[in-house]
Amino acid sequence: MAPSLCIKCQKERAVIIRPKNRHKLCRECFLSVFETEVHETITQNSLFQPGERIAIGASGGKDSTVLASVLKTLNERYNYELDLCLLSIDEGIRGYRDDSLETVKRNAVQYSMPLVIVGYGELYGWTMDQVVEQIGKKGNCTYCGVFRRQALDRGAERLGIKHVVTGHNADDVAETVMMNLLRGDLSRLSRGTSIVTGSAASDIKRSKPLKYAYEKEIVLYAHHKQLDYFSTECIYSPEAFRGSARTLIKDLEKIRPSSILDIVRSGEEMAVLVPMANGGQPAEEESAVGGCGSQNGRTRGGEMAEMEKTLAQNEVAAVLETEIKIPSQQNGAVPIPKRQTKQPKKQVLGKCERCGYISSQKICHACTLLEGLNKNRPKAAIELELDAEEEESSTTLRRQMEEVQLAG
Amino acid sequence: MPGKPLSNTCVDCRNADYVLTIRGRSLCRECYIQFVGYKVFKRMEKYRLRRDLPINGPCSVLLPLSYGLSSSVLLHMVHAQVQRLLSKPHAPPGFELQVLIVEPSSISSSSPPHNEAFQLLQQRYPHASFTKLPLHSVYEYVPGLGDILSEYAGPGFADDVSLPPKDRLDTFRGSITSATSIADVDSVLLNRLIVAFAKSLRCFGVVWGDSDDRLAAKTLASVSKGRGSSLTWQVSDGTSPFGVEFTFPLRDLFTSELQNYANFFPDLTDVIIPDTPLSDNILTKNLSIDQLMMRYVSSQGAKYPGVMSNVTRTANKLQASRITTDGSRCALCETLICNPKGTSSHFQLATDSNQFCYACERSRPGLS
Repeated sequence: MAPSLCIKCQKERAVIIRPKNRHKLCRECFLSVFETEVHETITQNSLFQPGERIAIGASGGKDSTVLASVLKTLNERYNYELDLCLLSIDEGIRGYRDDSLETVKRNAVQYSMPLVIVGYGELYGWTMDQVVEQIGKKGNCTYCGVFRRQALDRGAERLGIKHVVTGHNADDVAETVMMNLLRGDLSRLSRGTSIVTGSAASDIKRSKPLKYAYEKEIVLYAHHKQLDYFSTECIYSPEAFRGSARTLIKDLEKIRPSSILDIVRSGEEMAVLVPMANGGQPAEEESAVGGCGSQNGRTRGGEMAEMEKTLAQNEVAAVLETEIKIPSQQNGAVPIPKRQTKQPKKQVLGKCERCGYISSQKICHACTLLEGLNKNRPKAAIELELDAEEEESSTTLRRQMEEVQLAG
Repeated sequence: MPGKPLSNTCVDCRNADYVLTIRGRSLCRECYIQFVGYKVFKRMEKYRLRRDLPINGPCSVLLPLSYGLSSSVLLHMVHAQVQRLLSKPHAPPGFELQVLIVEPSSISSSSPPHNEAFQLLQQRYPHASFTKLPLHSVYEYVPGLGDILSEYAGPGFADDVSLPPKDRLDTFRGSITSATSIADVDSVLLNRLIVAFAKSLRCFGVVWGDSDDRLAAKTLASVSKGRGSSLTWQVSDGTSPFGVEFTFPLRDLFTSELQNYANFFPDLTDVIIPDTPLSDNILTKNLSIDQLMMRYVSSQGAKYPGVMSNVTRTANKLQASRITTDGSRCALCETLICNPKGTSSHFQLATDSNQFCYACERSRPGLS
């Protein structure tokens, strides 16, 4: 078969089939199409103001590396006049973070951007490895997610920056839509789909310029641009709702590649229909993306089973309920004061009494978690080892990438 | 606290031995029928008592029947209600039951004609009026549909009006290549036919036979196909964008519970066309999105039935009135076109014509 030509320039040989729409493109055209699409996302949603200082939440992974590279390119090409810098969080997970931080350090040099690393250790007095020693492998994603959210904000604050961009891609957003549908959490669903988050009370804005970019295309972009990134998944904890949603989305993508974008679209439509979604946005203490804020964020295992149990109990309780009818009111009788119908609880944002972080409670989630941790300190240290299985996962992406690439 | 039953007696009537356990309750045949039937009885209250409907004059309700398990059970239950109402001397005005059968063989060529069932149904359910239509009669019920379909299918498709409607529809469907898009367009056409027929009979509402798990699958499939805003009528009770009321009286019942119910009535089982289970050998990529979701819901629903039914309950919380729209409707599915804020160019498809909604555009021939 004769090699097909790029459908855009009609000159070069096509080397890529776009996962999104199966268009055949040459390297140059793919890179330019990808960049243009991100540019359109940025301009259509007016994400940035000229002169704005932006912190890129950088993990060293493919998404944030591509984000940093594309933003640098676009900033120069279209004259955004942005002042970009990299902001990294060191959760203190040996074997996962120290290697990826090395990548971020190299990125900082490659893109000539300043880099700030904020550690859980210095912020909270606990690294994730220490948290895991204390509470075990189960359920630690809650800690990581809560800590991370604050850490990015605090890091940005330290730099005097009011806008953090993260590398969430279309697959992440689609996953969040499906996951929150399964979990029955409409307010998270609506928050997860919006491109800019951050409540009025918080002065730090978050946005996701890669919201419409496919994960597979991000991998392709990184590959063809020969970006230096670190590919591994967090070594802790299995998944539940997110895992289920992820499997479903991978299957959907096989049937109809546009599904990911279609789900994002559905999510945007649904977000409009969520009661109260536009009014008082609930306080965002945890990451909008679920348990852990990382790209590979996973919720605690067994969460689905737990929810099933609660729902089953509610069902049993509902059967036992007896409807009591109030007898029709007689003349002259004193009216029985009607019980007020329960209004959806509105969250009021205040500041945490301990750390001053925005919180709807007296003490913010992070401080509550810390209190629990500190109570039981000290404990014997346990050495952590990497499973052979975890090591393997780093090759997954490379394999996926090879699959989507057009055979030369 | 109700503990485990000490004996074999039914926990409700305590007269007979239990035969089945439903949601932790061991019930005899009669009590099971009552338990399951009551859930539907409650949901039909609107029509039975004519809530927010004119008290006098006729009030018709349309029940679309596919000969499948769920819609057949629904017919059985609703017919029993009508019968009971008619037997009471001072009963509320109630409603007239209209049944529309869109011939299964006209939707999928693999379905049997099932002609004898139509006769049987008329004999067994004398208080309902039955109509049988093929899917291609949608040309007759929806004026101008031929032009809409030509526009939709694009230049690669030529509509020959001299052909019989069946052939016209077959040619049109033949222009769509993917299983997902065909299933999607079929369901759109089916919906339009049912709504148009309901309007032609001046029905106040349509009662759909979707069970709990079916609704969960429909919710997930609609979201996956970009039909997020349609959840407010696809799986929710209330006024549909087409002007007629939609009700899903089986929303609290699982398919397995309906199967148990049907097993009690031999004259019900012999009209039902059983679902052909999806073979596990089919590659995922060859399924339609609707099939994938049915498979997902039935496999996950075995472990987490509550989580699955919660999906629909969650979707039901969406408020149709909040939709952001300029009032324009999709020419194909007739729903209001939803324009979320900041809609980006990423959602503009190659053959943009502004006539069709995002999801219908997605199923257009050549795009799938």
